[in-house]
Amino acid sequence: MEKTILIGGEAGMGSAVTSHFIGKIFTEWGYYVFNYRDYPSLIRGGHNFNILKISDKPVYSHELKYDFILALDQKTIDTHKKDLNKGGLIFGNKDTEPIIQKLQGPKILANNVLIGLLFKHFGVDLNILFAAAEKTFGKNADMVKKSIQEGYQLGSEKEKLKKLTAKRFISGTEGMGIGAIAAGLDIYLAYPMTPATPLLHFLAKRQIENNILVFQPENEIAVINAALGASFAGAKTMIGTSGGGFALMTEAFSLAGMAELPLVVYSSQRGAPSTGLATHTAQGDLKFAINAGHGEFPRVVLTPGDAQEAITRTQEAFYLAGKYRIPVILLSDKHLAESDYTLDEIKKSPLPAGRFILENPPEDYKSYKITVNGVSPAAVPGQGPIVRANSYEHDEYGHTIEDAATTIKMQDKRFKKSAYLKKEISKLNPVSVYGKGSNLLVSHGSTKGAILDALPQLKNFRFLQVSYLEPFPSEAVAKEIKKSKKVILVENSATGALADVIKEKIGIEIKNKILKYDGRPFTPAYLIKELKK
Amino acid sequence: MESKDLGTTQINTWCPGCPNFGILNSVKEAIAELVNEGKVSAKDTALVAGIGCHGKIYDYLNLNGFNGLHGRVLPVCFGTKLGNPDLTVIGFGGDGDTFDEGVSHFVHACRYNMDITMMVHINQVFALTTGQANAITEKGFIDGSTPLGQGEKPINSVLLALELGATFVARGYALQAPHLKEIMKKAILHKGFSYIDILQPCIVYHKHSVPYLSKNAYKLDETHDISNFNQAIEKAREWDYSYEKDTKVPIGIFYETQRPTFESQWPQLKQPWHTVDRKPNWDSITREFK
Repeated sequence: MEKTILIGGEAGMGSAVTSHFIGKIFTEWGYYVFNYRDYPSLIRGGHNFNILKISDKPVYSHELKYDFILALDQKTIDTHKKDLNKGGLIFGNKDTEPIIQKLQGPKILANNVLIGLLFKHFGVDLNILFAAAEKTFGKNADMVKKSIQEGYQLGSEKEKLKKLTAKRFISGTEGMGIGAIAAGLDIYLAYPMTPATPLLHFLAKRQIENNILVFQPENEIAVINAALGASFAGAKTMIGTSGGGFALMTEAFSLAGMAELPLVVYSSQRGAPSTGLATHTAQGDLKFAINAGHGEFPRVVLTPGDAQEAITRTQEAFYLAGKYRIPVILLSDKHLAESDYTLDEIKKSPLPAGRFILENPPEDYKSYKITVNGVSPAAVPGQGPIVRANSYEHDEYGHTIEDAATTIKMQDKRFKKSAYLKKEISKLNPVSVYGKGSNLLVSHGSTKGAILDALPQLKNFRFLQVSYLEPFPSEAVAKEIKKSKKVILVENSATGALADVIKEKIGIEIKNKILKYDGRPFTPAYLIKELKK
Repeated sequence: MESKDLGTTQINTWCPGCPNFGILNSVKEAIAELVNEGKVSAKDTALVAGIGCHGKIYDYLNLNGFNGLHGRVLPVCFGTKLGNPDLTVIGFGGDGDTFDEGVSHFVHACRYNMDITMMVHINQVFALTTGQANAITEKGFIDGSTPLGQGEKPINSVLLALELGATFVARGYALQAPHLKEIMKKAILHKGFSYIDILQPCIVYHKHSVPYLSKNAYKLDETHDISNFNQAIEKAREWDYSYEKDTKVPIGIFYETQRPTFESQWPQLKQPWHTVDRKPNWDSITREFK
C-alpha cells in the first residue's frame, strides 16, 4: 500500500493542522507517513500545501504525484490537478460547502469534512476519527466531530485499511526538542527566525513541566552573549537561529571558542544568501558553519538526517559541548525541521546527560588549566574558587596576556582537544552507509530521506551519509569513496559544498554533482530522473 | 575582608593618574564593606567587563569574572544571572561600549529590570583605540576620525536610563572615590537594574573634562527626592555632557524605585542550574508522541 495525499489552501485555512491530523491517524493505524510542508512567507492568503506519503513500508520522503487532492480552495485544484495520478480523487469545495452551509458553521470545518471523506475511503472506523478529534481539539470538538461525520457519510468505502502496529509521528524540530530535554537542557534562548522558530515554540510550551527556561532576548547578538553568560554560570545552554541570525552571532561564536564555554547552536538553514527564501529549504550554510567565527578554534558541526537522528545528534551535541568545553553547531534545515517522520519507536542516545562540572574544585583552581587532552575541568562561580572567562588571550587562570610564549601555549592547549574529539566522534557513527553497489551517492543532512527512498530503485548504488562535518571523518569517507566506481554528490545547494570539504580534507575531487537550489527538497523521482541523465 | 583582598597581582596598565584607579578602589571598598556587613558574598559575586580601558578592571579584581566582547556586557550579565540567580552580577562598560556598540542591550536591560548593576565608565572618548569620539562625546570635539569636529550632540546617558525605566539611576565621579563608593554600595543592594554613570575623564584624550568637572560637579543633597521621577529628570537635564559653558554637574543618586525584577517572574529561576539534579525521564519526554 502506498498513497500520496496533497492538502492545500490559503494560509490560515488549516492544511498544516489537517495534514498532521491525518498523518497521526495513519501512524496510529500502523502505517509509515512522511509529511512535507510547503508554505510562503505570509500570514493569510497565498497557497500553502502539505504532501503526505503513506505506506506500509518505511517512508522518508514525499513525491509530487498524488492519489488524493484535498482542496480547501480552488487554487489548490488548479495548481495540482495536473499531478493527480491516474484514478486519483479530488475532494474540494463542491463536497465541503453544502455541509458547512447545512451545519451553519465556520469555513474552517471544511478540513474536517475532507478528513471524513478520506477515511471513509480507507474504511477507518468513525470512532477512531472522533477520538483523534477530541485529542487534538479538546472537549469542544462537537462541531469538528459533526463535520467529520458529515464528510464520512458523504464518502464511500473503497479500501479496507488493515490495522498494523502503531508507530510514532514526529518532526525534526520535535526530535531536536526532546533530544535537548533528554540531554539535560537548562536554558534555551532564541530570537524568532524561520525555520528555527518551531523549536523555540516547542520548548517554550514545555518549559514548566521540564523545569527549563526559554526566553527570547532582544536580538541574536544578545541571544548568544547571554547564552555564554549562562554557560559561564553553569547552565546547559542551547540557542537557535537560521543562517542570517547565526551570521550576527559569529563574533560571540568565536568568543565561545576562546573562552572555552560549552554551547549548542541550533542553526536551521533556509534559502540564502541574505534573507533569501524565508520558508524554504537549503543546505548552503555548510561551509559557513564549519568556518564561522574569526580566528582558529576547535568546534563540532553535525547534521542530523531525520527525526530520529535529530534526537540522538542533539544529545551528542550537548555531550561534546560539555565534555570538551567547545561550541557545537547542530546544522539542520527547513526540510528536516518542518517535516514529520514516522518511527517504529523513538530511541535515545545512550550518552549520559550529566554535567561536566567539578563537584569540589580546588582552591587554586585554574579555569584554563593545561591538561593532556586540552580540556580544563570546569568549575562555576559560586563554588568558591575564582572562575574566569576571557575573550582576550589569557593564561591558565584566565588573566589577560600578550606575551608570545603563553599565546602559543594556550592556542596549542585548545587545539589539543581536536585529536581526542576526533577519536570520540569515530565512536558516534560519523558516517553511515546504506544499500549495496559499486557506485556511491554522497550527501549530508535532510537529503537522506529522498535518497533512502530512491535507493531501492537505483541499480548498483550505495549511499554515504556524512553526519559529522567537523571534525571531518576523513578516513571513513576516503575509504568509501576509494572503493566506489562512480561517486556523485547530492546537495540542496548551488555549488555542492560537501564536495569542496571532501577535496580539502582528503584531496579527492567529486566532479559529479546533483544539486538543487530552488528552495525545494529532493524527491526520489527527481533524483532518479537526474541520475538517468 | 579588606579591600586589598579584592585586588590581584596583575600589572596595571592604565595610564599613571587615570581616574579608573578611583573606580577600582571604590568598587573594592564597596564590595569589601558589603561583605563585612554580611550583605554580599564575594564567592557569589561575578563581574562582567567589555572591551576598552574600562575592561582591564577584569584583571585587577580578584572576583569571578567574564571579560567578554566590546558592547556585549549587558547580555553577558543577563545570561550570568539567568544561569545562576544567586549571583551578585556587576557589569563594567565603557561609554562607547555601552552607548555605541551595545546600545540596544542597554535599552532592554532597563526594560527587563533584572537584578544586576551596570557601571559605565564615562570618559567621552574611545581611549584604548587612541581617542575617537563616541556617543557621549560633546559636539565640536576634534580627533583622528573627526578632524572636522564631532557634529552631533552627545547622548545624555543618565536621562536615557531614566526614560527607559531603570529602577536605580546614579552618577558618580571617579575623582570623588568615597562618594562613588557609597553610590556603588546602594546600587549593588538595589533589587533591580541599577545604572551608575561614572564620570572618568580621560587624562590623555579628553583632558579638558578634569578641570571642568572638578569645578562644576556637585553632590545631590537631601533636598533631592530620589523617589520623585520628575525631579530626577530635571536634575538629569542640568548638564548635557558638553563643555561650551560652565554648567553645574550633579552627582549622586538621581532616582530609585521598585518594580518586580525579571527573575522574580520566572518560577523556574529558583536555584543555580548547575545544582539542579536532572534525571530526564524518557517515557514522559516522549509520551506525547504515543
